Formats: sequence, C-alpha cells, structure tokens
Amino acid sequence: MQACGCSVPKKQLFSSFLRRQGVNIRRSMASDTAGTTRFDLLVIGGGSGGLAGARRASELGASAAVIESHKLGGTCVNVGCVPKKVMWNAAVHAEYLHDHSDYGFEVGNVRFSWEALKTKRDAYISHLNRIYRNNLDKGKIQNIQGHARFTNDPEPTVEVNGRKYTAPHILIATGGQPIVMTDDEVPGGSLGITSDGFFDLETLPKRSVIVGAGYIAVEMAGILSTLGSKTSLVIRQTGVLRNFDSFISANCTKELQNSGIDLWKNSQVKSVRKTEQGLEVTIVTKDPEKKNDEEKISTIQEVDCLLWAIGRQPNTNGLNIDLMGLETDERGHIVVDEFQNTNRPGIYAVGDVCGKALLTPVAIAAGRKLAHRLFEGKKDSKLDYSTIPTVVFSHPPIGTMGLTEEEAIKLRGKENIKVYKTSFTPMYHAITSRKSLCIMKLVCEGKEEKVVGLHMQGLGCDEMLQGFSVAIKMGATKADFDKTIAIHPTSSEEFVTMR
Amino acid sequence: MAALCRCRHRWKRNNCLHVLTRNLTGKYDYDLVVIGGGSGGLACSKEAAQLGQKVAVLDYVEPTAKGTKWGLGGTCVNVGCIPKKLMHQAALLGTAVKDAQKYGWQISGPICHDWASMADAVQNHVRSLNWGHRVQLQDKKVKYLNLRGSLLDEHTVRGLTKAGKETLLTAKNIVIATGGRPKYPTDIPGAMEHGMTSDDIFWMKSSPGKTLVVGASYVALECAGFLTGIGLDATVMVRSIALRGFDQQMAGLVTDYMEAYGTKFVKECVPKRVDKLFSGALQVTWTDTLTGSEHKDTYDSVLWAVVREKQGQAGSRAPVELLKARGDRGQYHRCLLHPSFRPCLPPPFPCSFLASLGARSRSLSDFVSEDGRSPGQVCQQKHGRKHNISTLPVCMRTVDALVFLLSALYTSTWVAQSRVFIMLPSLVVWSYGDEGVGAGGEWSMPRHHRDSVSTASVTRPPGSVRSHTFGCPGGPMGTDAQLLITSCSAGRAPETKALGLDKLGVQLKKESGKIIVGADESTSVPNIFAFGDIGEGRPELTPTAVKAGKLLARRLAGHGTELMNYDNVATTVFTPLEYGCVGLSEEEAEERHGKDGIEVYHAFYKPLEFSVAERDASQCYLKVVCERGGDQKILGLHFTGPNAGEVTQGFALGLQCGATYSHLLQTVGIHPTCAEELTKVNITKRSGLDAMVSGC
Repeated sequence: MQACGCSVPKKQLFSSFLRRQGVNIRRSMASDTAGTTRFDLLVIGGGSGGLAGARRASELGASAAVIESHKLGGTCVNVGCVPKKVMWNAAVHAEYLHDHSDYGFEVGNVRFSWEALKTKRDAYISHLNRIYRNNLDKGKIQNIQGHARFTNDPEPTVEVNGRKYTAPHILIATGGQPIVMTDDEVPGGSLGITSDGFFDLETLPKRSVIVGAGYIAVEMAGILSTLGSKTSLVIRQTGVLRNFDSFISANCTKELQNSGIDLWKNSQVKSVRKTEQGLEVTIVTKDPEKKNDEEKISTIQEVDCLLWAIGRQPNTNGLNIDLMGLETDERGHIVVDEFQNTNRPGIYAVGDVCGKALLTPVAIAAGRKLAHRLFEGKKDSKLDYSTIPTVVFSHPPIGTMGLTEEEAIKLRGKENIKVYKTSFTPMYHAITSRKSLCIMKLVCEGKEEKVVGLHMQGLGCDEMLQGFSVAIKMGATKADFDKTIAIHPTSSEEFVTMR
Repeated sequence: MAALCRCRHRWKRNNCLHVLTRNLTGKYDYDLVVIGGGSGGLACSKEAAQLGQKVAVLDYVEPTAKGTKWGLGGTCVNVGCIPKKLMHQAALLGTAVKDAQKYGWQISGPICHDWASMADAVQNHVRSLNWGHRVQLQDKKVKYLNLRGSLLDEHTVRGLTKAGKETLLTAKNIVIATGGRPKYPTDIPGAMEHGMTSDDIFWMKSSPGKTLVVGASYVALECAGFLTGIGLDATVMVRSIALRGFDQQMAGLVTDYMEAYGTKFVKECVPKRVDKLFSGALQVTWTDTLTGSEHKDTYDSVLWAVVREKQGQAGSRAPVELLKARGDRGQYHRCLLHPSFRPCLPPPFPCSFLASLGARSRSLSDFVSEDGRSPGQVCQQKHGRKHNISTLPVCMRTVDALVFLLSALYTSTWVAQSRVFIMLPSLVVWSYGDEGVGAGGEWSMPRHHRDSVSTASVTRPPGSVRSHTFGCPGGPMGTDAQLLITSCSAGRAPETKALGLDKLGVQLKKESGKIIVGADESTSVPNIFAFGDIGEGRPELTPTAVKAGKLLARRLAGHGTELMNYDNVATTVFTPLEYGCVGLSEEEAEERHGKDGIEVYHAFYKPLEFSVAERDASQCYLKVVCERGGDQKILGLHFTGPNAGEVTQGFALGLQCGATYSHLLQTVGIHPTCAEELTKVNITKRSGLDAMVSGC
C-alpha cells in the first residue's frame, strides 16, 4: 500500500494531464472510438458511496472519474445526514435551554434565529463540499460535471455534456431523492415541499404539517417542533416507525406527542389550497376499527410549511439504464447481487439507488469493498448487510440494529426468542422538569441467548449503539453482556445490568 | 490435617465451641450481615435476600471534619458518581449555552449560575435516592440498621448507635463493604482546618467561590472541571502528573482541554500551608518543586483530592511520586530515581535518612550507583526490556535495600506514607507497609506471591530503631535486588479503622489499610468477606462493587460459583472533555507486549457538534491499542469526546467478547456520530502519518 502510494501519483499526474488534452496514452490502443475517454473505473454519482469507491480504487492504482451533476457529497452532505444533524443539534440546544434553570443557570431572553443557523450550516456544508473536491484532486480522480446518460455504443459508454466516457468498470451510485406529491394524487399536493426543500427554508415556519410516518418524517417533525414551529404530523395509521420494533414505535409515538407535536392518526391529506394566509390543508380521518364511524374532515389553516416525507425513490431518470438492459425492481431500484453486480457484467451499483439500507456508511462500505474486489483481486470482498446499526435523530434519539422482536419470532419461532427490556428516566432528567424516558430492549435467540436485535430510544442512544454493534456482529450473547462491567453513571450501563 | 487442627483449637477455646454449637443448630440471628450500605453492600444484601437469606445491613456515616453527613447509599450516591455527574451536566449546559449562540439562539443579557439552586436540586435528588434505597431494602426484606458496625468474632457484629447504645447481631457470614473516605494530608498546616474534600463539596449550600483543588486525580479534575463549567475560578495544583494510572497521552489531552476551557493549572508545585486570613479568605502557600521558590495566593475554598491510586496488581503501577514528569507524559517512569529527583522530595527525606546510613553514601544517587552506574543509566538500559512490573528498577544489593528501607521508614514521615517494595530477582514482591512509624508490623508479601517463595522472610521486632534485626534465611541475601518506592499518599483511605479487624486477625494491607482479599472476596478469616473500595487491589468503582457484591451473595447462598472477573473494567472520567477507556493504557500494553508487540491505531476527529459551534476539537482523539501480530486483538481502547461514557460501554462489551481490530473495521458506522470514528480508525502511530480525520 505504501509503496504504491509513492509510485502511483506520478503516473496518474501524467495521465490525468494527458486526459485533459482529450488524449489517453495508457489506453489508446484499446480505444476504438475517437473522443471517448477511458478510465479504469467510471463512477456515476458523487455521493458518499461513489466517492468512497472512486477514492479507494484510485488508492489501489486505478484511474477513476466521478460524474456529478450537483454538488459533491450527495444526499448525506447536502440534504441529508449532515445538515439534518446540525438542525437536530440546534434543536437539542432548545431542549437544553429549557433545562438550564433546573441546573441553576439564569439565562436572559432567548430568541432563535433560523437565518443565523442556516448561514452557519450552509457555510459548513460548502466547507465539506470543498473537502470532497480536494480529496478528489488529492486522489487524482477526475471530476466530471453534468448529467450522465448511457449511450447505445456497443461497449457500455456514458455521455456527459456531449462527451463520451467509458471504462471496463462502471459504478452507478446516483442515490435517491424524496418522492414528490403530485397534484393528481392530492389536489394541491405540489404546493408542499420535501426534505430537500426543508434545507432551503430561509425562515422558521410558524405552522408546519409533516406527512409520513417514517424516520425522515419523525426527524423533521422533531426538529421543527423543538425549534418552535407549531407542528402537526399526519400519519395513515396509529403509530410512527411501523417497521421498527413495536417497543420503539410505540414509545416514539408517545414521545412525539409529549413533546407537543400534534399527531393526526388514521389520517391522510385530502387536498391542499393556497390562501392569502398560507396553505389550507384538508385532512380526512377515519379509524378503520370503527367501521360505522363516518370519515371526519378537518382543515389546518395558515400552514407555511407542508412537508411530504412519504418515501424516497432511486435516481435513475435520464440515465438510460434500459439501454444497458439493467434489471430493476418494481420501484425502480437497480437490482444487484451481494457483490454489487448488476445483471450486466462490468456495471455495478451501490447505495440508495439499490434501495437496500439507505445509509451513508453502508454505501461507503459497499463502494470500498467493491473497489477492493475489482482492483485488488479480493474476490470475496463484499459488505455484510445483516446487523447494520442505525440511528434516528428523533427527540430523544433512537438506536436500533438487527431483528425486531416481531421479525425474530416470525423467523425463529416464539419458543426460541427471549426478550429483555427496561425503561427508566435518565439521570440527566433527575433534576429537570422536562422528562423523557430511555427504553431498551435486547432480542435474544436460542439456548445460548445470542443477541440478534438491540433497540433503544433515549438520551445518548445515538452515541451508545456503535460499540454494541461491534459486539453483536461478533455474535455476543446475553451472558457476554452480563459479564461486562458497567460504566457508572451512564445510560448505556443498563444494557449490561439488564435482567 | 487442617480440619483436625481446627478441631483441636475449638476444644481449647470456649467461645469457639459456642460458635460451633450455634452453627450446628443454625441459630444465628441472620444468614448474612453486611457492614456498609454503599453500592456494593446494598447490592450484596438485596441479592442475598432475594435468594431467601435472612439479611441485615448496617450503615453509619461518620460526619466529615467539616460536619457534612448524608444518608444511605455510600459514596456513589451521596458524595461520588451521582452528584458529580449531575454537576458535570450542569457544567456541560454552561458550555451548551455558549454553543447555542452559534446555533442561532440569541440570548440577551448575562448568563449566570446560581450554586444554591443547583445544589438544592442535586441534594434533593440524592435524598430521594437515599429514600429509594430504604424502600428497596424494605421491599426485599433486608433489615436496615443505622448502626456503626464492628466485629466481635467471626460470627458476631456489634452495632453502636450514635448515642452509644449497643446491639449484638450474630450471622453465619459477615461481609465488610465499608468503602473509603477521602483523606487530608497530615503534614500541611491548616489543610484540615481550612480545607474540604469531595465529601463536602456536593453538600455545600453556597458556592465554593474561587477554589484551589489540590491533586490531579480524576476526582480532582472532575471537581475543578465542573466548577469551571459553572463559571467559578478553579485552579488545580499538580505535583507531578495528572490522572495517574490512566493512559498519559489521554490524560494530557484531558488537561489540555481543561486549560483551554478555563481551568487554571499550577504545575509541579506542592502546597506548604493554608492560613485563614482576617477577611476569611484562605491563603495557600506552595513550593515550586523545580525552583524551590515559594508562592502564595488566596482562595475561597481549598479542596483536597490528592492522588487516588488506581488499583491493579501489586506493583503494576509506576512509582511516579518521586520524579519530575516535566514535558514527558507517559515516559515518567524513565526518570525514576534519577539523580535530579532529590529536590522534589519532601524535606525530611533525603538528608536525615541518608545521614543514618553513615558516611558511605551521601545521597540516594551515590547509594544506588555502587556498581558504578548512575540510576539514570540503569533505567535507560533497562527500558525496552519486558518487565512484568511497570517500574524500572534500580539495582542494589538486598542488604543495601533493606538498610535503605529501614532507615527511611524510621526517619521519614514521607516514606511512612509510602509503599515500598523490594523486588528480588525472581520478581517476588515484598512489601512493607506502615500505619505510622513505630506501630509495629512485619514484612509481608501479597498473597498471590506467597506460593512462589518458600523461604524469604524478614522480621522486624517492635522496638527501637537501632535494635532491629532482619535477614533472609536461605534467600538471595547479597544478590541484586530491585527497589521500588511508590508513594501512596492516596486521596482516599479505607474505612477499616473502627471495625475491630485486628483483634480477629483479618489481614490488612499495611500501607493502604485495605483488607487483603482472595478472588472469592474472602478475607484471612473464614466467614468474613470483604469487597468494594475496601478490598486491596480492587478497582474503586461502583459497578465492580455492585457486581462483586451480587456474585458474592449468590455464592454465599449456594447459588453458583461464578467469581468476579476484574479484567477489562471500563471507566469514564467526567471531565469537561469526557474520557472513556477500557483495557490497557498504551504504556501498560507496551510494558506487557513490548513496543514492537503492539500496534496503535489513532485518530484526531472533529465532532459535528463542535463544527458549527466553532469549538476547538484538538483534543478529540481516540486510539485503539492492539496486539501487533495475528488477529490484532484489541488490548485497550481510549476515547475523548462528548458522551464518552455512552460511547465506551458497547466497546467494553466488544473487548469482553475478544474483539480484534478487524472486528472494528467490519462494523458499519453510524453516521454522523462520534462513536463511528472508532470503526473508521486506520492510521497507525508507527506510520507517522497525519491522524486528522477529514470529511465523512
């Protein structure tokens, strides 16, 4: 690795210099079409997965290029994890400010400036964009600006702004985007925004309506409400995060309501109308269990932020993937095997565009593993998609990994599953008037009580999960948890003292 | 044989017979009496009761020198973990309010902190916990007695009320879990009259004001840290190094952060006296150990929190009290007994005892360099070689070592408070402890070394200095011995004094005053057990006491035989920048495996919380110390940053499961968190590459 590091850059510097002239000496023998630039690896999409794959490939000596139509960094950096967590942190400060007097602080008048925060946040994101650019430059990876489109050349080729590029290995890492509500589905639906639009908001909305029950809806509702927007959350059934463990789902729903979010259960947005005071959102509510009840129609007036958080879809539009004959699932995700291979040799996909575990570190890990397989000859280099830890930045945050209790029972049988759980008020709240619970659950399987699922919600759960995920991936049993000595006083110690 | 002997003994002694019959008829008042209602004692008694045992627990809090007292629950609940962490939380909020302004929160007017309302809330919470413990004992049918307990015989406990009324309790088994209390230095005028300890600070009704914290133990740093965080002027006076026993690179980061945070540090200084001025302020005089010069400043409060020894195997901690650690964190042991150490010794030490050695040697460096090498050279030569004991020894003949020791013991109050080991070439540890000069005693060895030596023994008859004799029958008299001196001017002293242990023959470690315990928490007397802070060599941590207590209760009740495993105990220091660790420090790993036997992966990272808040993250750091060969098993893991306690726990489980470096890498990160940096760490120290993390 180190020896490579010394010799490769010179060679790459030279070849990248030549590439800029539109000539490629290294591969000119193989190039049959004039004007087509060749690389060892061509990555479509400059997000977490694509950049990680390209950088690792370059470190392993491959010539690589990344095609990106927007800013480098993709969803995570620009409209996802990073700005979301900045907003979440700002909201956490709101909670702290609430607790200050309980801890003896006298803090004068407090006013929140969304504008100041947004300026700071944008500056930070631009800083990250620059870091990504520098990393590409340092790695001698060509950055091609524009939309990529597969051509019908005999060899898989991509066209960007009229120029053609090809490579024996093409990686699709175009990610995804929020589903936008159309006026056909809900009259006036297009008057709402999505999570992408949330990050463009210049002021704090006074009245927000979030539609959806997934983690993005939960996070957005939490941030807006905590920062002082009167927030309603509209969900089709009775709880949020329905694919999470029911323990978490129920608790999160309760916490949302406790924190002052106005929750509309069994409800859907029927129509949206623009008025002078803002949007008028009409909601229809019907409890499916009470068959005789009539549908209830209500309206929320003066809404200045209607946010659809109803799912995400893959970014494949305009890519012409049908020309390559790539197989997709019913929702348009590119189908890949465990090695990230599509059905067409030489074309791979990682990250959100595959629709599996839409998480930055997953895309990064998959991109890197693929690079090792393609350019280091590590034939079995692949990402293990089981037991991936995830955190939801709700208030308080949720950490979860592995099987839910329901899944475990379904897969392994009720008699083989033992569940341990606990709930308590974290010590931080011992002297605060504002309270939130911390709940924890371990799902164990078999006689040896192997831990197959860990679920929690509470203060600090975001930072707690990682270490446990290492041990669970190693096959930790309940006995291993019991053997571990607690760190006092923390919340995480409850996991090793659970009975 | 043993059984026979004991039988004969019984026939001779009447009360033993009495005990025997009681035992046979099962007529003890209780199955188990626990002396000490702290975390360990409560856990032990509740567990035993749940298993059907009849249990009583005695708890009695001796007020501090300042008159502070508290309720049931021991150090952790009343004057330790709980109030400390709550005040640490208050300090974090002090930082948060500054960060909040960077996050768009506009705060008009000054921000001030009111000690009284915080302390009131904290104290109320502690009282509610005291009450909770009472209720739990009641629910679990454990008899709670607010009595000062002492041992009469191996089955009888005498309880005294505050008024002096006596109650006798008999029990099949007796467990001592009385914990420890902070100690004042005895040789500093005014220290106790005008100072306080961590037993007092959490119960103060009004702000301690400008505070001098003496010592750099974790207690000292945590206290100074939260005082700074709530806006008070806090100064830490450090004699040598901070966070002794912890990884010294991490300790340096913790104190660097604190300095940047506003805590003042007075380094390499020792307090000389404390005087109360007419104004009520406390004037502290101290000596700079490098220059010998004296300095003075005034404070509102002085808090004594001198070093608490991190417990480990005997001799596994470096003796660092003697040396100057200036600018070489982590390398301090190289300087042990370096000729330059002399000036920093307390005044009575070098001259008086060396004078007693006669004209032959005039200073310690002369003394130990008999073989022609200066101590410094010896140390350097020895460095790098594997030592089971982390102290670099100085070679001298056994007889010289003994002369040195005895002279020192009789002439210096300083050594009287110290732990002295004589290391024979076979690495047998002898130790001599003292509970005060002239108290009488004999050479003893820690239990676990006894089997390896059959003949070594040295006796010292009580009496005058000049008339003692010593010898090593059949031992390696005259061969090279290694002399180690570690000071144990520990910040905490065990609560053994009033227990009546000596009469029963319960063996104590003399220099620490702690009870010598076996792996099953047994003492030298059958039916009497001890664990927690009072057990020699045990970590002074709540969770270890709780766990050890529960396991002991289970064994005593005949439920299982599982012993407490004291390895890989994770802990977190709640300083302004929290520091969590599990496993070995880099120094320890280096000593056990050699510098070439370990690989250290490290990273300086920037928490997202710090980015927008524009905070300096230079001290946010992590390192994973691994074996170098094979699977790269993780030996130690260290992390400074927000939420270190919550981050570390899961990794402690990982270490428990035998995690390797590749296990970390195979784990998918959680984005964006601080903990994920531990799964991304890939720069080795050996490579010398920049360990700064950039981008996602």
